[in-house]
Amino acid sequence: MLFFLIGEALRDLRRGGRVAVSAVLLIMLSLTALGAFWVLSLNLGRALVQWRDRFRVVVYLREEPPAGQVEGLLEKIEGVGGIQRLRYVSKGQALQALRRQIGGQASVVAELPANPLPASVEVTPAAEAMTPEGTRALIQRLSALAEVEEVQGGTAWVEWLAQFQGLLQAIGLSLGAVLALAAILTATTATTLVLHARREEMEIMRLVGASEMVIRLPLLLQGLIQGFVGALMAVGGLYLAFRLALPTLEPLLSVTLGLPGAAFFAPAEIAVLVGGGSLLGGLGGLRAKGEKPA
Amino acid sequence: MIQLQGVSKVYRVGPVKVTALADVSLEIEKGEFTVLAGPSGSGKTTLLRLLYRDEVPTEGEIRVAGFDVTGMRRSRIPHLRRAVGVVFQDAKLLPARNVYDNVAFVLRVLGTPRREITPRVMQTLKAVGLSARAQALPAQISQGEQQRAALARALVKEPALLLADEPTGNLDEAMADEILYLLSDIWNRGTTILLATHRATLADQLKRRTLVLDGGRLLKDED
Ligand SMILES: Nc1ncnc2c1ncn2[C@@H]1O[C@H](COP(=O)(O)OP(=O)(O)OP(=O)(O)O)[C@@H](O)[C@H]1O
Ligand SMILES: [Mg+2]
Repeated sequence: MLFFLIGEALRDLRRGGRVAVSAVLLIMLSLTALGAFWVLSLNLGRALVQWRDRFRVVVYLREEPPAGQVEGLLEKIEGVGGIQRLRYVSKGQALQALRRQIGGQASVVAELPANPLPASVEVTPAAEAMTPEGTRALIQRLSALAEVEEVQGGTAWVEWLAQFQGLLQAIGLSLGAVLALAAILTATTATTLVLHARREEMEIMRLVGASEMVIRLPLLLQGLIQGFVGALMAVGGLYLAFRLALPTLEPLLSVTLGLPGAAFFAPAEIAVLVGGGSLLGGLGGLRAKGEKPA
Repeated sequence: MIQLQGVSKVYRVGPVKVTALADVSLEIEKGEFTVLAGPSGSGKTTLLRLLYRDEVPTEGEIRVAGFDVTGMRRSRIPHLRRAVGVVFQDAKLLPARNVYDNVAFVLRVLGTPRREITPRVMQTLKAVGLSARAQALPAQISQGEQQRAALARALVKEPALLLADEPTGNLDEAMADEILYLLSDIWNRGTTILLATHRATLADQLKRRTLVLDGGRLLKDED
């Protein structure tokens, strides 16, 4: 029975011809647009997580504390709250780091009469303080400490990046929604056309006493098939584009976003796309109006 | 098998009302072969359509094969239709499918187990004398053969009642006689038959109980 109904659906798809093909293409298009924005936002999200993790607030100290007081100072700093981790950097360590950074010109450093670099504490804000407001408040609390000369750490770019990701998602979702609507309508049109070609079959089915479910199921199935094929094509196309762009994209990503590599959808996300596509097609098929049962 | 009690049918075409049937009451027993006669436009097709609930009466009660046709829920209609076979003047075969598939189609949409389908279809085709043309498309067989294929399609689900609306209307006399002979054969095997025709001579020739409609009224009911 099910095989028969699937066979009828495929037979109808062949009869639907060009309209069925355009329904498949539209579903593909809408899911490609949706998927492309999704992949972008996915990678941006990963970058965001990584950047937040690397984000530091640097607290410069007025004076280098004697070795015995470092522990106490760190405790005092941690006492302001909203701090996940902190690391003390002495004047000597700061100079060493500078030497490593400038490499060949190390002699310049050697000629300095005294170490000009201040001692500092690198502070990683706690996750809950990682919002722009939270970070600003933390910086204020740190600046208020008597031992602190200056606090550095901007939050503007984190804010900007989060907004950009939100924008990207909004564009992707609204574009995808519009295209999805168009895809449903096209699937409906395709099914309606098929319905006309199928009028004789449906008439006979009703005449001999087929249940309404059996009469409508081929319509639902062919919508589902259209959506499924469209979604598979979209995922396939996206993956192809992703692989092709990867060699040029990856160095760019690591320079600008600091990401080691770009990520594609996980299997679960692919399943969501394909399921969504099938749903679009199925909805389109169900919306097609048959003749009223007598 | 069939009971009508005070059945009327009024079609509304815009502001115009057409009375197709007026206060018709009748009863047909299981196993009868009944002819429904009357001139063109007398309401024969309308009466048949009421019986398989293709239309609902404006007034009156109808019972067919144990179903309360007038009071039944919509979801029950398929059950009624499975108990009633219908053939028309034109065979209404699906043109893209061969004779076998046209008949098998019915069993497939009714969910008959696969292994039962082929034997039942072949047995029915044999009964209407079409075994040899099973693989032919409708366009490749004669009108008489098309009508026999339509009969096979109506009979393959083994209905208790067969409604035939002018089944010989498109056929020449020889082919018409074949179909009538076939109907007698089907009746002999136990199917109740109601045959509508506007040809008075045909009704006479069959020598069966004949109901005569005229202007939507039941005129005569004679054996
Ligand atoms: N769907 C309809 N809408 C409006 N009027 C209809 C409809 N069907 C039938 N009629 C009218 O009802 C009357 C009876 O029609 P019906 O088809 O039942 O007659 P009939 O006896 O089958 O005629 P024929 O021998 O020509 O087939 C006619 O006047 C016809 O015009
Ligand atoms: Mg008629």
